Order: sequence, then structure tokens, then C-alpha cells
Amino acid sequence: MRPQSSFDAIIIGAGHNGLTAAAYLARAGRQVLVVEKNDWIGGAAVSRSLHEGWTYSNCSYVCSLLRREIVRDLDLPKYGLQVIPYEGGASFTPDGDYFAYYSDHHALHREMARHSPRDADAYPRYAQMILRQCRFIRPFLLRDAPDPASLHPRDLGEMAYMVKQAHGLGRRELAETLRFWTMSIGDLLNEHFESDLIKAHLAGSGIIGTGLGVYSPGTAYVLLHHYMGDIDGGIGAWGFARGGMGAISAALGAAFEAAGGTIHVGADVAQILVKEGRVTGVALEDGREFHAPVVASNMDVKRTFLTHVERAALPEDFTRAVERFKIRGSSAKLNIALDRLPAFPAAPQHASFLRGDLHVSQSLWELERAYDDWKAGRWSARPYIDMLIPSQIDPTMAPPGSHMMTVFVQYAPYDLAAEGQRSGQNWTDAARHALAETVLDQITIACPDIRDRIQHMEVRSPLELETEVGLTEGNIFQGELTFDQLFFNRPVPGYSGYGSPIAGLYLCGSSAHPGGGVMAAPGANAARTILRREWPRAPRKGYAA
Amino acid sequence: MSATRTFDAIVIGGGLNGLAAAGVLARAGQSVCLLERAPHLGGLAAPDASGAPRMAHLLYNLSPVVRRDLGLGARDWPFKTVALPTVALSEDGRHVVTQGAKARFADGGTHPDAAGFAALHQRLTSYAALLRQLAEAAPPGGDAPLLSSARLKEVLRLGRVGLGLRRMGKPEMRRFLQILLSNAYDLILDDIPDSPLAGLLAADAVRGAAAGPRAPGTVFGLLYRMGHGGGASLPMGGMAAVIDAFAGAARQAGAVIETGCGVARILTDQDRVTGVITDEGETLNAARVLSSGGARITAEMAGLAHFDIEASRRLRHVRARGTVAKINLTLSSLPAIPGLPDDLLSARMVIAPSASYVEEAFNPSKYREVSPHPVIEALLPGQTDPAQRGAQGHALSLIVQYAPVDLAGGWHAAARDTLLQTTLNTLSRYAPGLPDLVTGAEVIPPDRIEAETGAPGGHWHHAEMSLDQLLTLRPAIGIGRYGMGPSGLFLCGASAHPGGDLMGLAGRNAAHAALRGTP
Repeated sequence: MRPQSSFDAIIIGAGHNGLTAAAYLARAGRQVLVVEKNDWIGGAAVSRSLHEGWTYSNCSYVCSLLRREIVRDLDLPKYGLQVIPYEGGASFTPDGDYFAYYSDHHALHREMARHSPRDADAYPRYAQMILRQCRFIRPFLLRDAPDPASLHPRDLGEMAYMVKQAHGLGRRELAETLRFWTMSIGDLLNEHFESDLIKAHLAGSGIIGTGLGVYSPGTAYVLLHHYMGDIDGGIGAWGFARGGMGAISAALGAAFEAAGGTIHVGADVAQILVKEGRVTGVALEDGREFHAPVVASNMDVKRTFLTHVERAALPEDFTRAVERFKIRGSSAKLNIALDRLPAFPAAPQHASFLRGDLHVSQSLWELERAYDDWKAGRWSARPYIDMLIPSQIDPTMAPPGSHMMTVFVQYAPYDLAAEGQRSGQNWTDAARHALAETVLDQITIACPDIRDRIQHMEVRSPLELETEVGLTEGNIFQGELTFDQLFFNRPVPGYSGYGSPIAGLYLCGSSAHPGGGVMAAPGANAARTILRREWPRAPRKGYAA
Repeated sequence: MSATRTFDAIVIGGGLNGLAAAGVLARAGQSVCLLERAPHLGGLAAPDASGAPRMAHLLYNLSPVVRRDLGLGARDWPFKTVALPTVALSEDGRHVVTQGAKARFADGGTHPDAAGFAALHQRLTSYAALLRQLAEAAPPGGDAPLLSSARLKEVLRLGRVGLGLRRMGKPEMRRFLQILLSNAYDLILDDIPDSPLAGLLAADAVRGAAAGPRAPGTVFGLLYRMGHGGGASLPMGGMAAVIDAFAGAARQAGAVIETGCGVARILTDQDRVTGVITDEGETLNAARVLSSGGARITAEMAGLAHFDIEASRRLRHVRARGTVAKINLTLSSLPAIPGLPDDLLSARMVIAPSASYVEEAFNPSKYREVSPHPVIEALLPGQTDPAQRGAQGHALSLIVQYAPVDLAGGWHAAARDTLLQTTLNTLSRYAPGLPDLVTGAEVIPPDRIEAETGAPGGHWHHAEMSLDQLLTLRPAIGIGRYGMGPSGLFLCGASAHPGGDLMGLAGRNAAHAALRGTP
């Protein structure tokens, strides 16, 4: 039998959003093909065995944002997804102390009071405010962002919903919300806390993945972006997917295939085919062609429209807007196979917080200086690190007794400066090695014996993230999370509704509203839009939420 | 002892905002007394003894609405202003001259980015003109009853802004909503390559701010600057002419203006303002007090007991971190700037050779250090108006950024000297012989600006013009509409909406708010 070459819809890229969109479409009865350039699925949510016996979540590494509505709709636990929450975390100091974060309120209060009694008393107020902001924003994640310039009833309806939600806050709370959204995480923390270490510990979530510093306005929102998830209803909780982040993609892929979908791996799309303003399918690098009246791209907005669509097929102002889209690499990653658990001399033996996220930044100023390095095209001399050892909770990640460590590193520019030139090509092996040494030096603040524990180490600069996963400049969110690129401005004004100037061509990745993180909301929202627009009469199945 | 004097309203502070407030109130028939602590009026605008500029040296945003409300002329101000071109200096001598939306090289050559600059300038001024309507009234969000005329006016005003947006057409409306909250650096470099021209815009976006051009929200700074077209103009006769016009309007309407008379305390009775006590101990009665000082100092003068804990917490957190120093030099003769024709020595000259230069200048200020390569705005006012040339030689007025108020180690004499040296070094890269011409120098760091004018943190706007401190959020939630604390107390300075920049709107708006609150 000849392989099928015509489908109802083709999804380019088997990242978590692409698979999510595909699964929703397939469950609504569509014939859907997913094409993936790599020989494995998952995009940036993958589990890779790069050193025998160890599994690396070598891009994204923890899970919280994945919308529970989607987990339920697609029945992901049935396909093997199990998320195990972790408790707490810590920031270590060079003089042998630490600040530990506990999810238990009393334990946290005691620990904070050890550093500052005032901060311990201030924390509940801070936490309450964050929770209120999370509650406000969560309903927007699985809704479309309206176009404020449009008078279409759907846009007006969404605008009305927005106004209603805002009005419901009351005047004072609305003012608080506006202020929160426009503040920097640094200023916000300074208003609440006095301990440098506590502030540094809490600030990390405000900058992860962005090209912003802790004192850049808008970083309080980025913090929210990392807090608005949940695990089993525990808002703000984070956890590990058992078997690594690839388990999420595997479950999504299985759900999709169970609904009758087809996945082609090793299928690199060269060109999105367009005829008379309407998409007709995709052409692969190997010459194969697949046809469908609907194509949804899980690639970022720049990669989709600037390299995979003929420029002539797009209006010039749209192309210009896409060119202006900011997608800046700012982070690197170390994945380390350890022969055994490294020692954390400062921490009590078997401290529960060692199973959480570990840091070594001492103050907001240190973090801000790390950002200045990035602006100048250098990786931070003292980078922010977000370090976890998931094998303590999930034994499938490493051989018995051994461990796997994932270290997220910020800031590392994509366009590294070398000899006066800034370019991604400056990420040579020597540069990556030097970066790793910088990071290991930072880690020794927490565990001095780290270098002796290393069995194997993978160093991923923004360049690797771009070449392997396909994220432009290695930006983990498929585009900066700044005001000019959020909500109705994401990815570009006028196209926040997942569509494009080409009929039938959609975006379903994190470049679209509501943005990045392993959330799957852009994929689910895009599929809903596609079903509504392309098959208005078909029954809309699969969306319980 | 004479009887206690009684007024309808007392205005604290004789800067442009205080004077505007006093003028508007007096013209509405109120008896007004304005008290200024310094021996002269003008605040940040006050010139030095010779008539040369001391702190502020140019006008951007004088508001016709204020002129109308002060009865200073239907068409024009009673003083003459001269619009100045701007020169973006370049180390290689290829200086760029801008006037309005036009850009060219100083040698007359066509600038390759002239079209991009013109388009950007035109777009920004049209956005700014739209936003200006919001500056000309109290910020939206009042608690007037739904069917009152105040609420109706507010709705109409917002409607006009909305309509103005719609009139732009869909693409421009979308672009407006996209860039409004974004950063100046990306906005500029999206349209023109990094160069002195880009640096000039970046510098204008952050002048007076504790922010670099890469900080989100700095586009707003640029729009604010462009509310009245963005052109810099020099008042003939100096800032004294502006101050005299404002003060004259107030006096003519019957306002009493007293200088050298500071206010020690604002008096209250049962949560109502009853008057003030001056530094000399005189009590003045008034049911309304308008203060053009900072929000926090005003609250302290009235007594923090009148503010609930939430309000005093918010007042404590108002950010006002001055980052600008003023340096006034006296030169023995005019400096020679290679590549710059002599007639352009009268221009506003800006040293900001690129947008990244501005961002790099900002970096050290975060860590309480002075920029080794500062952004400088230089003006030789005597070239346009001989009355502002200074007592001897040629006055060169410099705005130097960034010099943070909280400099590590403090602003002692050695620190001021270092700043002067750094500034001269930077200037000599463009005007090689300039340091040798210096016969006199005065360095005014932000802490002196604060000490002399009362501007919190020496900040030009009394409170950072960041997105979280604008409109109803300015200076803090709950006091965003001029009234604060005990009834009858109003904020009328730059820390109130819409902010500073020698505009007078905050004072004028506050006066209207106080009039509405008239029993």
C-alpha cells in the first residue's frame, strides 16, 4: 500500500504544543499528520540517553505549567504520564549557610526567620498577592486573545470578558494588578523583603528564559508565568515527569496515535506550500510532499514565516513585524551524570530541600550584573543557576546509586561576542567548555566535590538549542515574554488568533498566546481555533474544559 | 502680634507646578497664599544669579492648557521662545543635526537614515499627541457618581482617546498598543541602525530616569518627551521669564506669594486640614493645602497618623532615585568642535553616540557608581540669548547622566571632582581643547538638587516615570488623584499625574481637583 500523502491537517514539529494540537484535531475526527525533523519526538520536552544508563531531560527539566484541562481532555495519565511534585529548594552561600524553601508554611516561616524575622512575617502577604494574581490570570490561558482593533463579535466578546474580569477585581485590586504587571521583580521583592539571600532566591523565576534583568519592568509578570501552573491542584507547585520530560511528549504522542494520528519522524520540512494565498501542504528536505488544506506550525514565528514560507506569499508589513519579533537566547544547560550524590556540606543530611531547586545567587545585584554580562555578549561571570537532581525522586533517571543533575544556566547569549563580532557561531567547543567551567565554579558554592562526581556532562549553549530543537536563537519561550509580545500582541499585532495571512496556515507553538513553558495551551487553543474556522459544522469533540 | 491670616488655600512650593496651582485657584476667586522656602521662585527651573540656567535649561512641554487657565494669552506665551536644533555629536566629526522630524549631517550631507528617523519621529509625535489628552486632566478612575458631570467628562475624554486611536486605522492602532509599554532601545533599532541618531533618541527616552533604554516602559519616556512635538526651545530672558509669567498670573489674580518662607507642618483637626505653620512659627489658616513637595514629605508634614498603614507603606515605596547631575561650566571662550559649524554651537548638543552607549552608561548607576562614559546634554545658552551668557565668559550648561543620588561613599568633594573630570574627559573627545577653557565649574549632584529644591532623591519628576508609577498609580495607589490623607490636602507637584518636565500640568490639574473639592 502506498503511504498516505493527503491529510486533513499537517502539524510541523512534534513538540509538546504540536502534539497537543494534533491530538485535539485527531480526536475531533480529522486525519492528521505530524512531521518531525528529528528522529525522536518531543521538541524541547525530551528524555535522551546520551550516556549509558542515564536519562537526561536535556532541554526543559521540570513540569508545572501543563494545563490540567489538557491532561484530562487527552487522558495523558492513561498514556503513562505521571508527574511527581518536589518539595522546596535552597540557595547556598559561600560562607557555608543556606536559605531553604519549604512548602510547609511553618517550616518556611522558621527558616525565613533565621535570616530575617521581618521577612518571615512579610512572606504570607507576598504569597497571597502572587496567588491572587495567579487566580486572575489563569482563566485567560485557555482563551483566545482578542484583537483590540477588531470589531468582530468574537473579539468584542473576548474584550468584554476581559473587562468583566478586570471590573470584578474592584478598583483597588485592579490598580494593584496593573502595578504588579508593570513592575520589576527586583522592586517588588524590595518592597516586601530585606534579606538579600531570600530576595535572590525568590527572584529567579522572574528572569528564567528571558532577556531581562531582575530590575527590568515586566519581570514580575514573568515570575507569574512560572507560578501559574499547578500539580494536582497545588497552585505554583513544580514536579518531575517520571522518566524525564520526554514522558510528556510520549504520552501526547500516544494519545494522538490512539486517536488515529500519524507521526513521521526524520521528516524535515523544507518549505510550506502555498498556492494562491492558501496553504496546500509541506515539502520535505528529502523531496517528499504531503498535502493538506490546513497546516499548523509548531515552529516559532520567525522560523515559520521567514525561512519556511516564500517571502512573496506574505504581505510585507507582516513579514516586517515578524522580523521585529524578539526571540533572544539567554540560557544554557548542563546535564550531568553523577557517580553518586554530591555532598552539600552546608545542608543537614537527607534534607528534604535538596530534592528541590538549588541555587547559589547571593543578591539581586549579583543577578543584575549577570544580566549586564549578557547584554554585552558574554555569559555571566556569576550566572544564575537552577539546579536539580531528579534521580533522587525518580530512580528511572540514573543507575542505582548514581544520579542525574540538570543545571539551567542564565545568562548565556546566543550571539556570543568574540573578537568584536557577535555571532552564534562563536559557540565553539572551547567556548562551551569555558562556560561549563564557569558554571561548575558556581556549583562548588553548594557542593565542593561536584567535579569529582562527574561521569559525563552535556553542555548545551543557545546554539545547540537552535540547531537541534529548532528554537530560533535558542530562546526557550519561542519569543520574549515582554508586554509588546504578550496577549493580543503575541506573536504580532493582528495575528494573536493563531492564524496568519495565508489561509489555512496556523501557528500552534509557544510563539502564540499565551506563550512558552511546557504548558500546551497554545497547541490546545490553536486546535480549537482551527476546528472552528476550518470545519465549523463538525461536532467539536474532545474539549471538556 | 497680628491676627492669624486666613486663606481659602495655601500652596507649598513655588516651582512651576506650585505657581500654576496658585494661579488657577486665584483666578477661580479663591484667596491663595503660596509659600516658597528658597529666597527665589522657580524650584528646579530657577536660574542662577547672573541669569544663566542653573538646573533646567530648556523647555519641551510647556502646556497651552496651563497658559489658557492662567490667562497668559490665547495664542502665545508672554515671553519669546526660540526652537533649537539638536546636534547628536559624533567622535568622528560626522555630527547629526535634527530639527523636528528632519535629520541631516552637520556638514549639510544627507543622512542615510533620515527617512527612517522621520517616520519614527512622526509616528511617535502622533502617538504622543493622543496621550497628551490624558495628561490634561486627572487620571481616569475617579469615584464621582455615575451620572455626574465629572464622570461624564472623564468618559468623554477616554472616548476621545479611543476615537483618536480608531482614526489611526487598524495597523497603526495595533502598533501603538504594541509599543506603548515596550523599550526604546528595540523600537529605535528596529528602524534605524545604532548610531548617534539612535543614541540621541535613546538618551531622550531616559533623560532624568533611573532606567536604561533597554528597560521596558522607556518608549513611554520618549512619548512623554514628545507630547508637544518633542522640540527643545530656549526661553528668551531665561527661565526667569517663564517663572515671572507664571508668578505674574498668580499675583494678578490676587495670590499672595512669599519667598524665604518654608512650611514646617501642615495643621489638621479631626482629619481635616486647617492650615500650616511656617518655619518661623507663623500659623496660616486654610481649609485646603496644596503641596508641590514630594508625596512622602508632604505626608510627613501632615503627620503620618492621618495615613493608614497601607498608605504609608505605599508612600515609603514610591521610587524616586535621581540619576542626573547638573554641571555648569564657565568657559573663557567658545569651544571648537571639529566638524560642527559655528552657528550650530547654539544647538542642544547631545553626547550619546549610540543606543548601546546609553545603556552602558546606565549600568554603573545601578551599582551606585558614576558612568565612566556619561551621556551629556550640553547647551551654550548665550549663543541664542546673550542675557543667559553668564557673568563672565560663556556659560556651558551640562546635564550629565548617570550620577546616582545614592552614590557609594556619598557625594563628597572628591566624588564631585571625579564626576567633573569624567565629564571633561568625555567632552574633550568631541571638543579637544575644551577643558583648558574652563574658568569656573559648579557640580550639582542629585543630593544637592534635593537639598535645594526638595525634589525627592533629586529626581526631576519627584517620582520615577515608570509604568507602575503612572496615571492613577502615580505616585502611589490611593493618592493618584491629587487628594491625599486628611481631607483638604492635595499633592500638586511633579510626583502627581502627569509628572514633571516644566509643564505646570500637575499643579493646574491639582488646583482643579481642589476646586471641585470646595465645600
